[in-house]
Amino acid sequence: MFESALANTLLASVALGTACALLSVVVVLRRWAFIGEGIAHAGFGGVGTAWILALLVPAFEKGGQTPLYLTSVAFCLAMAAGIAALSRRERVHADTAIGVFLVASMAWGFVAYGIYGKVRGAMPPGWEAYIIGQMGPMNAAHAMVAVTVCLAVIATLAALARHIVAYCFDPMLAETSGVPGAFIHFLLILLVAMTIVVGIRLTGPLLVTALLILPGATGLLLSRRLARVAAIAVAVGVVGAVSGPLLSHRWRFIPEGPAIVLTLVLQFALAYTASAAARFAQRRLVAAGQEE
Amino acid sequence: MAALVEIQRLDFAFARQLVLKQVTLTIERGSILGLIGPNGGGKTTLLRLMLARYRPTRGQILIDGLTPQQAVSRGNVLGYLPQNHAIPENFPISVRQVVRLGLAGKTGLLRPCLREDLDFVEWLLEHVGLADLADQPVGVVSGGQRQRMLIARALAARPKLLLLDEPTTGIDRSGQQRFMQFLVDLRRQLDLTVVLVSHDLQTVSALCDRIACLNVTLHYHDVPHRLPEDLAHRMFSCDLEAMGIKPTGP
Repeated sequence: MFESALANTLLASVALGTACALLSVVVVLRRWAFIGEGIAHAGFGGVGTAWILALLVPAFEKGGQTPLYLTSVAFCLAMAAGIAALSRRERVHADTAIGVFLVASMAWGFVAYGIYGKVRGAMPPGWEAYIIGQMGPMNAAHAMVAVTVCLAVIATLAALARHIVAYCFDPMLAETSGVPGAFIHFLLILLVAMTIVVGIRLTGPLLVTALLILPGATGLLLSRRLARVAAIAVAVGVVGAVSGPLLSHRWRFIPEGPAIVLTLVLQFALAYTASAAARFAQRRLVAAGQEE
Repeated sequence: MAALVEIQRLDFAFARQLVLKQVTLTIERGSILGLIGPNGGGKTTLLRLMLARYRPTRGQILIDGLTPQQAVSRGNVLGYLPQNHAIPENFPISVRQVVRLGLAGKTGLLRPCLREDLDFVEWLLEHVGLADLADQPVGVVSGGQRQRMLIARALAARPKLLLLDEPTTGIDRSGQQRFMQFLVDLRRQLDLTVVLVSHDLQTVSALCDRIACLNVTLHYHDVPHRLPEDLAHRMFSCDLEAMGIKPTGP
């Protein structure tokens, strides 16, 4: 049974690693890392709301982790819609608006945690697992939801690649040449939110943005060709996403989420070193050519 | 010549400050219009109204019989080169791919590019002198090459109207002259209508069929050599002959 749970988790990890890696290229190129953080941290506010709901409606708590997860999903999606709308307008700077949402969600989560502890005299169940992304073994249904969402993300990115690249290259130029900028903007942020929602189960809300930043950042260190950057990002993302469950399976004391993030950081560090070494070697070659 | 652009009694205000007032202007097909005026006179704002970036407070703009929103959404009516445009140099695409991005709006969602459009992009790359750099990353091109790349991008969908906002800013004099010759050739070959925003009266007078002088309202719209000297003095503090314009008597 445990092996089957591991297989489900690995299946979801491969799907998530691929979808997040492709989106991470967009996130890095559009400099949306902070938007990802904002949406992901909304999950903590969502969990806080779930704890308060559990106090008000005791039946809510009997569903185990599922109500907790679904409430955070709803919070993340609502937050994504808010961030997408605010980041299209200039009245409040997007970074400021996201910062406000982010700290408000975190603060609300901690206050709800305190209220729950005071009323029940104990910590909310499963909160640590939720934060670091070890919400128990995945069943086949969880895995299928993750795979379906990720396939939808990948299909959307592939189908609208030209418009998305045009928008990422320059939103204003894209819009003046007929690309529906508002549609692409909302769609991309919705896709980011969907992958975050799926990824929270694996890495937790605090670390899920690693999957949405590091693969793309690693790819961009190693290539200036978009197709190659995307391919490298997918490889890095999948290796990172499956390493967490495998390491956690082998050494139970290692939590999945942090293991995924550290594997991604390690790959980024290797790519950074390789790219710096390649630049250094190139400079040496040029200098040697000039001396001759 | 029939009019491609008709602007009727156009007002535009930011908050409560009137930026454009009662502007009425027609632009003939196949012509080059130089849009001149002092800083803050509303030149770039007028371009942005034509690009549907802003909505008029009053009045209307028709481009080939379409509102600016309709013209922009068709993807093959307007081409635009913004002023001093910084492109993301680390963006992982080639010069050819940047030019092809100009087809995205014309092609529409979920449809592949037409072969003839891709062939036209190759023709443009050749014509703007970037064929050899077509597969290079965008980060390697120089300032002048970048302008030509962005012009090719603006022309990729074969627009009827090309809007250029200070296209020669930051390019040296010889580069500016090459650019202007390139524009004249393009206009002839593609039967383009061009609106050129510029501070450079000499360039505008040498290149444009007509000048529109804008400072909140439209002060002048006619051929360059009839530009009244006192208007040029008031707006630019310059001598017309020194700027290469030979004024004729009234």
